[in-house]
Amino acid sequence: MEILRMDNVSLTYETVESETKAIENISLSIDEGEFIAIVGPSGCGKTTVLSLISGLMKPSSGTITLMGKPVDKPGAQTGYMLQRDMLFEWRTIEKNVLLGPEIRHTLDDEAKKEAEELLKKYGLWEFRKHYPGQLSGGMRQRAALIRTLALRPKLLLLDEPFSALDFQTRLSVCNDVHAIIKSEKKTALLVTHDIAEAVSLADRIVVLSNRPSVVKRTFEVDIDADTPLGRRENGKFGEMFDKVWKEVSV
Amino acid sequence: MKKQKSEHELFIAKTKRKKVGIMAIQILLLVAFIGLWELAAALGWIDSFITSSPSRIAAMLGELSKQNLWVHIGTTLYECVIGFIVSTALGCIIAIALWWSDFLRKVLEPYIVVLNSLPKIALGPIIIIWVGAGPSAIVMMTVLICIIVTIISALGGLMATDEGKILLLRSMGASKWQILTKLVLPGSLPTFLSVLKINVGLAWVGTIMGEYLVSSAGLGYLIVYGGQVFKLDLVMTSTVILCFLAAVMYFAVALVEKLLKRR
Repeated sequence: MEILRMDNVSLTYETVESETKAIENISLSIDEGEFIAIVGPSGCGKTTVLSLISGLMKPSSGTITLMGKPVDKPGAQTGYMLQRDMLFEWRTIEKNVLLGPEIRHTLDDEAKKEAEELLKKYGLWEFRKHYPGQLSGGMRQRAALIRTLALRPKLLLLDEPFSALDFQTRLSVCNDVHAIIKSEKKTALLVTHDIAEAVSLADRIVVLSNRPSVVKRTFEVDIDADTPLGRRENGKFGEMFDKVWKEVSV
Repeated sequence: MKKQKSEHELFIAKTKRKKVGIMAIQILLLVAFIGLWELAAALGWIDSFITSSPSRIAAMLGELSKQNLWVHIGTTLYECVIGFIVSTALGCIIAIALWWSDFLRKVLEPYIVVLNSLPKIALGPIIIIWVGAGPSAIVMMTVLICIIVTIISALGGLMATDEGKILLLRSMGASKWQILTKLVLPGSLPTFLSVLKINVGLAWVGTIMGEYLVSSAGLGYLIVYGGQVFKLDLVMTSTVILCFLAAVMYFAVALVEKLLKRR
């Protein structure tokens, strides 16, 4: 089933000094359960794509439909995960996780129960009364993911969610996040400049060009491994990495 | 295990000793200062008519307490506390309004900057003529002195909210009111607490300045009066009381801070 569809989407930023075309005629379709990664040179408007899909920005032209409905404002269908975990320091982990339902006025026993299950399943239950400052970087990122999942999104939008972590933590959190997303059977769209990360996580990689971004090429990733780490160890990993890397840097 | 515990106990004892040591020296300093002052006055090293002395201050305190000392203290305290509360509350509300509306903030910015650099005491005569000579003029002076700084620091705290967190809330579909109440206000608590502390000091400046300008009672009045009739004992005594009150108010705010931070 198709979750997201973008048809010829363009966006132009207007400032007093100039007009900047950020993205141009991007078309993309994501099916349920897919893990898509968008890679491209820095400043190419990858984050813009996520902002458009989440409804934070409106495209200058083209249409975006999510679950068959046009996106016109931030809604209940997407969960946006940012570079840093953005946990609120004055809230406990439990309260942080429940932020989404609270904002959407859907904070009922069911939502609490669901958050409880997520916390238990992913090893943060005993830390539910802790404050973010008492957790490690990897745990914080996991809490941020659970907060995103507690929104019950149809589509997860991940904006370089590991870039603020050190390399060691990054690999294990990457594994973690992948496992969680797969076990929750979520559809995800990841934006990253880290090609290795894209190759280790995604089913499909979309390469964007320099500004104004267009879709340069799409790769199907076919590496037989269950985890991102497994993929990194697979012989095909280097080959795939090279292909994508060449496309990004040309 | 046992050894570890005793090490920890040693550490606690050491920390405690340090703390006691600091406190002892603090008290010693005060005692030495008072003692030296008294001694110098008694031995005639300084002229106690001009410098007063601890014993003369104590005598004056006794004398005043038989008269209307409490009226003076009450008046000053009342003016200061009302001025403090009004300026803090009003200043924070205005800061929130300015955070809410970009337009309003941009319009008012130059005015706030100018008002901030204006010495508020210059407005003294205008205040007296407008609100009349009396406690209300002094409260007004206190509010004027505190409010601009309150607005500027509180607004700075509100505006410093992490853009990423705002983006997160917006992506969840949060309204501006939700962004304010769930993120901006709780996140600005440290700024708010520091505003409280700054205002305690400024409120006293405003109150005493106001009383210098126009008053018939209060500690500022006693100080001015004492200066005019060359009763330095009165000036010193009032200053000592003022010191004490300011300290009490500061610690009250520090206590509020501690309670709020304990969440």
